Amino acid sequence: MQPRVVEVDRLTRAFNGVPAVRDVSFAVAAGEIHGLCGHNGAGKSTVVKMLTGQLEPDGGRIVIGGEPVELRSRSAAQRAGVALVDQELSVVPALTVLENMLLGDIHVPMANRRRSAVARCRRVLDDMGLERIDPDQPVSTLSIGERQLIEIAKALSQHARLVILDEPTATLTDVESAYVFAAIRRVAATGCSLVFVSHRLPEVLELCDAVTVLRNGRSVATTPAARLTVDELIVQMLGEPPHRLAPTRMADPDLAHALRIAGLTVPARLKDFSLNARAGRIYALAGQLGSGASDALRAVAGLHPAATGTVELRDRAVPLGDPVGAARRGIAFLSNDRKSEGLFLDKSVAANLTATRLPSLARAGILQPHREHATAQTVAERCGLPEHRLGEPMAALSGGNQQKAFVGRCLERNDVFALLLDEPTRGVDIGGRAAIHQLLREAADNGLVVLLASTELEELLELGDVIITMRDGHIVHRYDGDVDGGRLMRDMTQGRK
Amino acid sequence: MTAADSTRPAPLRLGVSTVGLAVPLLVLGAVAMTTHRFLSLDNARAILASSAFVGITAIGATLVMIAGSGVSLAASQTATVVAMFFLATQQLGLAAAVLIALAAGATLTALQGAIVGYWHANPIVLSIAAGFAIGGATTWFSGGTPVYPRTRAFDVLNGTPFGLPLAVYVLLAVTLLAELTLRRTTAGRQMYLVGENRAAARAAGLPVGRVTVIAWACFGVCIALTGVFLASFTTSATVTLGGTLTLDAIAAVLVGGTAITGGRGSALRTLGGAVLISVISDVLLLRGFSTGIQILVKGILVLAVVVTVHLRTTRGRQ
Amino acid sequence: MMRRWVARPEAVMPLVSILVVLGAFGCSPLLNGKPLQVFDVYNALQGFAQLGLLALAIGLTMIAGEFDLSVVGTYALGGMLAVQLGAKSPVLGVLAALGAGAAVGLVQGALIARLRIASMPVTLATYIALLGLTYAMSGGLSKSYPNSAATLWVDQSLGGVFSPRSLLTLTAFLIAAAVLGFTKLGRELRAIGSDRRASRVAGVRVDRRLIAVFTISGVLAALGGALLSYSYASANPDPGLQPLILAAVAALLGGVSLAGGRGAPLGVLAGALSVAVLAQIVAVTALPDFTTQLLYAALLAVIVAIESPGLRASLDRLRARHADG
Repeated sequence: MQPRVVEVDRLTRAFNGVPAVRDVSFAVAAGEIHGLCGHNGAGKSTVVKMLTGQLEPDGGRIVIGGEPVELRSRSAAQRAGVALVDQELSVVPALTVLENMLLGDIHVPMANRRRSAVARCRRVLDDMGLERIDPDQPVSTLSIGERQLIEIAKALSQHARLVILDEPTATLTDVESAYVFAAIRRVAATGCSLVFVSHRLPEVLELCDAVTVLRNGRSVATTPAARLTVDELIVQMLGEPPHRLAPTRMADPDLAHALRIAGLTVPARLKDFSLNARAGRIYALAGQLGSGASDALRAVAGLHPAATGTVELRDRAVPLGDPVGAARRGIAFLSNDRKSEGLFLDKSVAANLTATRLPSLARAGILQPHREHATAQTVAERCGLPEHRLGEPMAALSGGNQQKAFVGRCLERNDVFALLLDEPTRGVDIGGRAAIHQLLREAADNGLVVLLASTELEELLELGDVIITMRDGHIVHRYDGDVDGGRLMRDMTQGRK
Repeated sequence: MTAADSTRPAPLRLGVSTVGLAVPLLVLGAVAMTTHRFLSLDNARAILASSAFVGITAIGATLVMIAGSGVSLAASQTATVVAMFFLATQQLGLAAAVLIALAAGATLTALQGAIVGYWHANPIVLSIAAGFAIGGATTWFSGGTPVYPRTRAFDVLNGTPFGLPLAVYVLLAVTLLAELTLRRTTAGRQMYLVGENRAAARAAGLPVGRVTVIAWACFGVCIALTGVFLASFTTSATVTLGGTLTLDAIAAVLVGGTAITGGRGSALRTLGGAVLISVISDVLLLRGFSTGIQILVKGILVLAVVVTVHLRTTRGRQ
Repeated sequence: MMRRWVARPEAVMPLVSILVVLGAFGCSPLLNGKPLQVFDVYNALQGFAQLGLLALAIGLTMIAGEFDLSVVGTYALGGMLAVQLGAKSPVLGVLAALGAGAAVGLVQGALIARLRIASMPVTLATYIALLGLTYAMSGGLSKSYPNSAATLWVDQSLGGVFSPRSLLTLTAFLIAAAVLGFTKLGRELRAIGSDRRASRVAGVRVDRRLIAVFTISGVLAALGGALLSYSYASANPDPGLQPLILAAVAALLGGVSLAGGRGAPLGVLAGALSVAVLAQIVAVTALPDFTTQLLYAALLAVIVAIESPGLRASLDRLRARHADG
C-alpha cells in the first residue's frame, strides 16, 4: 500500500450560508491518478479551488506529505507543491514555448542557461508527443489544443507533489488527449499524485486508478476504477437518474418554423449544425465544454466572424458575423459570462434593463424618462426584481438577481423573436433557477423561440421541449419525447469512440 | 432616489473619498476668498474667459473618453487646419465659413472614430498618425506661411456681450448640449454603455461603431469651434496655432473626474474641471506665483483627481 | 524555422524600416546631385543620439504594456538640472539628472503597479507637473550652459561618424539588449505586457518589474535630456510633444506593439536609427518638411491597420462570405 501523499479530510465550504461542499474526504497515494467526478453543482470546482489556495475551507483539513497545510493563496499552494492546469490558460501567447515553460518558475536562475533549458524543454515536449513543436516557436502560432498541452507540460515539469487537471481534454482532439494521458502516466510513475477532474467518463475509467464521485456537495463513494463501469458512475453521480416521461409540450405541427438554421459551421468548433425551431418552443442544446453548443448560439448571434451557413428568422435572413444586424432581425443573445460580456455592472439595474431597447423608448433619438421608468418597472416586476433596487448599481445584486435582470433585458419587447441563452442559470441558486426557468417558459408561451445551451441535466429535462445532444462540434441526437437523464449523460460524456 | 435618478448612470456615493475631495476644495475656497482681488467681477470674467477656448474642446473630448476611446493626440493640429479653412473662406460670408469649419472638423474626427469604432483600432496610435497627416497637409497647403483672411467678418466673434467673451457663452451652450446628449439621448446612453464594456455592448447588439463615430464627430465639432475662435482672436493662422490644446483639453477632462477607461463622467464635470484649473491658476497668479508653479500645481491636481477617481471606482466595485 | 522567425513583426518591421531608410539614404545623392559625405552619417548619428534614449525609454514601457507620456517631461527636467548644476562639474549635473529621473520613475511605477491604475493619465499628470517644474526652475526661458569644454566634448567626432553622445546612446541600447536577452527579465517583461493576469498566475513578480521599468525609463529620459542640453549648451524648459511622438514612432517602427508584449531593444534601435536617418535624408535633399510628416502618417496608418482586431475580423467575414458562395 503506497503512502498517502494527499489527504482531503471532511472538507466543508459554504457560500452565503448555502453549503457547496460538505464533509468531502478522499485520499490520493503517491503515484496514483485519482479521478474526481460529479455533475454540475456537485462541488468539484469548489474542492479544486480549496486545493489550489483560491478558497479557504470553512471546515476540515488538507494534508500534503503527511503535514496539514493551510493554502491561503495560489502561490502558497505552488510552494506546497500543488500545480493546477485548468481551462483558464496561463500561457502567454506572445512568448515562445520555451519561455512559457520557464516563466515564473522559482527554480530558474536569473541568467538564461539556454542550452540546458532547451534540452529540458525538448525532452518534456517529446515526452508529450510534441516532437513537431519547436521550443522557439511563439505560442500564438499554436492551436488552442496545443496551448493546453503546453500548459500541461509546464505543470508536469514543475516537480509538484500534486498535479490537479481540471477538464484538461475538453477541447483536445483524440490524438492530443492520448499524448496527455501518456504524459500523465509517466509523471505518475515518478511518484507524483494526480487528480483528474473530467466529465468524459470513459476517459476517467481508462486513466484513473480510483474515482471519487461527488453529489450535492458530498463525497458519495471512492471506488477503484477497475470495479466501475460508465453506467455505475452515472448512477453514483445522479442518484436515481432523472427521467422525463413525456415532453413538456406536444410537438404542434401547425406552429411555424420561426428560426431556421442550416449548415452552420465555425472552423474548428462547429460542423454543419442545422435546426428548424418553432416559435413557442424551448430547444435545449445539451453539450459539455467543447461540444460546440455555445459556439452555435454565438454564431447565430453574429459573434463569430468566420461562421458560414444560413440562418433565417421569420423568413428574413439573419446576417452572420454581424451582431448589430442579428439584433435588428430579432435575435437576443445572453452569453455565459454575464460579468464580462453581459451586464454593465457599474450602471444601475434600470439602465441595464433598458440598455437594449433604447430606440423604442425614445422619440427622434431623445429618451422619454417616464416611458423609460415605466418600462424598467414593468420588466422588473416581470422578473421578480424588487423595485426599490432599480436605482442600485448592478454589481450590488446577487448572482441570481443579476441573471434575472440579464434575462429580463430581452423580455417585454415586440422586436425580439428568438432568445438564445448560453448557460442560463450559471452561478444561480436553486430559487433563482426556478424563477428563471419560469421566465423562459413564459417567454416561449408568448411566442418566442427559445434556444439554450446547458450542461445541467435537470435544467435540460425540465425546460427542453426538444433536447439536442452535442459532442465535438456535431449533433449527436435529437430527443422529442421520452428521454432518460442517463442517456443524455452518456451522449454528452462518451468522449470520442 | 427619484424616478429620473434611477436611470442615471453611476450614482454619486458618499464615502471617505468624497470627504477627501471636499476638504481640499474647502481649503481652496478659503485660500481664494482671502486672496486680494479675487472676489471681483473683473476677475470672475477673466477666469471664465481663460477657460473658454480649451473648455469647448474639452467637452468634445469628454464624449470620446466616455465612449471608451480614451484620448486623441491630434486636437491641436485639427484646430489649426480648421482655423485655416475658416480664415481662407471668409469671403463666402461668416455663416458659410463657420459651417465649412464645423464640417471639416467633424469629418476629420469622424473618420478616425469610424476606424476606432468598427475596427477596434488603437485610438492613440491612430490619432498620432492623424496628427501627422493633418499637420503635414496643413504645412503643404499653406506653404509654411500664415493664412490671412480677406475680410474681417469674423470680428463679430470677438465681441463681449455683457462683458464676457462670446466664447464663454458658446462654452456654456456646448456644455448644456453635450450634457443633454449624454443624459437624454439614445446615442448618449449608448456611449456610456459601450465605454463601460465594449464586449458586452457588442454581444447585446448595440451599434458600437455608429456610437463611436457620433462621439468623435461631436469632438470634431468642438475642436472646430475652438479653431474658429482662435482664428478670430489671432486674425491669422500659422501651423502652431493649435498650441497646447491637446493636453490642456485632456487635463480639463481628467480634473473633472471622468475616467480614462470610459463608461462614466459628464460634460458638467468637465466644465467644472476647466473652471477649477482656471481658478487655481488665477489664485496662484494673483498671489504672485510664476507660470511654472501654476503648471506644476495643475499637474499635481490632475494626478490627485485621477488617483481619487480610480480608487472610488475600484472600491465601489468591491 | 527561418520562415517562422521572419514572420514575426518585431523582427520584420525594424529590419524593413532600417533597410528601406538606408537604401533611400544611399540613393539621396541622386536627388540632390551631391555625393554622400561622412559628415552626413555623423549628423544622422547625432540625430539618433538626440532621440535614441527617449525611444528606448518609451519602448521599454510599451513592451510592458504601459505608456509613459512623462518621458519628455523627464527629458526636459534632466536637461534643466544638468545645465543648472553641472556648470563646474558636468558629471555632477548628469548624476543629478539621473537621480531626478529615477525618482520620478519610481513614484510613477509605484502608483501604477500598486494601485493598478492605467499609466496614461498618471504619466500625463506627471508630464504636466514636470513641465511646470522646469518652467519654474528657468523662469520660462532657456537656460544657457557656460561650460563650453563639456559642450565640445560630448559632440567631438570619433572616427568621423560617432560622438560620445551617440556612442553612449548606442551603449545603452546594447546593455538593454543584453540584460533583456540574456536574463529572465526579458521574457518577464514581455509576459507582463502581453497577458498580465496569466503572468501573475504563473508567478512573475509583476509589481516589482513594473516599478523597475518605469524607474529605468525615467533614468534614460533624464540622461538623454542632460546630454542634449550639454550639446546645445542650453536647456529648453518646454520641448513640446514632438520628441515624445517621434520616440513613439521610433518604437513602433522598431516592432514594439502599443498593446504590449512585443518588441526588443535592438528593434527600437533600428527604429530610432530609421527616424534619424530619415530626418537626415530630408535635410540633405532639401525636401520640404511636411514629407516626413506625411510619410510617418502613412507608416503609422499601416501599423494601425495591422494591429486592429476588427480589421482581421472583417477579413474573416469576407472570406467566409466568399466560401459560402
